[in-house]
Amino acid sequence: MPKPKEPTAPSRPPGVCIPWEEKLRELPEIKGDAQLAQKVWEDIDALAYMYIWHCLVSF
Amino acid sequence: MAADMEQLYAQRLKRYVTAMRNGKPDCVPIRPFVAEFTAKYAGFTCQEVTHDYEKAFLAARRCAGDFDWDAVVGNMVYVWTGLTEAIGLKYYGVPGLDVPPDVGFQYKEPPEEEAHMKADEYDALIEDPTGFLFNIWLPRVSKDVAPIGSPSTYRNNLSFLKGGMAMLNYFNAFPKQAELLRRESGTVSAISGILKAPFDIIGDKLRGFTGLTMDVFERPKKVLAACEALMPHLLHIALGGADPEKNVPIAIWMHRGCVPFIRPEWFDRFYWSTLKPIIEEIHRRGHQVLFYAEGAWGAHLDSFAELPDGSIVLHVDRDDIFAVHRAVGHKFALSGGVPNVLLSWGTPQEVRDCCRKIIDEVAREGGYIMDASAIMQNDTSIENVKAMTDFTREYGVY
Repeated sequence: MPKPKEPTAPSRPPGVCIPWEEKLRELPEIKGDAQLAQKVWEDIDALAYMYIWHCLVSF
Repeated sequence: MAADMEQLYAQRLKRYVTAMRNGKPDCVPIRPFVAEFTAKYAGFTCQEVTHDYEKAFLAARRCAGDFDWDAVVGNMVYVWTGLTEAIGLKYYGVPGLDVPPDVGFQYKEPPEEEAHMKADEYDALIEDPTGFLFNIWLPRVSKDVAPIGSPSTYRNNLSFLKGGMAMLNYFNAFPKQAELLRRESGTVSAISGILKAPFDIIGDKLRGFTGLTMDVFERPKKVLAACEALMPHLLHIALGGADPEKNVPIAIWMHRGCVPFIRPEWFDRFYWSTLKPIIEEIHRRGHQVLFYAEGAWGAHLDSFAELPDGSIVLHVDRDDIFAVHRAVGHKFALSGGVPNVLLSWGTPQEVRDCCRKIIDEVAREGGYIMDASAIMQNDTSIENVKAMTDFTREYGVY
């Protein structure tokens, strides 16, 4: 039996639709809390990820 | 009343979890996977519970309140019409729309030439699974989503807006349902989180089963690479819905990855090699997985036995549960084994006799949860479910 492999690292990782790094390139220089801006972006982006993958897996 | 119900809930949770960890609780837990059966019991049509999830929730709670069950799924009639119609999904036969109102929803697998993913699209899927799903798969499976590169439409925009809001609306309703089950009847929500094997995803939703089996002959390396590309995403989705308390398991719905659907060597090379690491990782994170092994998976018990002790609960459908117990009962708790045909067409005495044999031979040292072999729909006899429940409660005491 082939040896089971660890999950491979994909180019667009799990939980991500539009990476923050891509979004950051579109923004002007962040004058305030960059971590806050990133967190909000990634939290909402994860909802879109959840949408498409649950369409596939659950519905 | 509230304190009594909370005490009942705690008792049932302890019973259910103890058995799932392959231990011996106070008595055999009862955890029926009831779908359209709940509609029949509550006086609703299949259409009503499929279109209106609040009715589905109510039906489940009505059953939980009237039957002495330890755990139940919040809504086993899971495919809510509001969501599927909002997205515009083409692959469901919906009760009351495509099929009669008293027939459960149907999944429509497309003919091979109309598969949702073409044979030459493996590289696109492998390179960027999320992008592939949004850009290529979703426009194919939805009546409303416009293909990438074509003009956007009013219906396209609404599909995403309505689909997204409907999904959030639906998912946010489940915790309330769990709380109501707990508060109204002291019933545990049986599972949390969803998983499917990469090979099954490709067969069910992408290439279709016929297409996939041809791909295994014609492009096996692509099939394996695609399974591997799906692995981290399926793990992520499973863990995203998992019980934060780590009491109840993530459920994996196992479809056509077993012999005789496929050859033993295909199971090893494609199905198991890309599922086992997911299960092991989930176990490392402290969760169990319920292997809802629909059909007959007896040819693969040796593979399942490679998993850590207690990492799964193995649900038995068409296999001989007594043989399964002899083979892996020392490692994993089992559930199921009461044939649906018996629950639908047998007599209450036949049901009781079946339950007695299972309790005597499989549940003797614990590690067993009483349930039908497969999901109970509206052909299931209420009288027989009552017989299964009452007998197990009376006879299944340790």
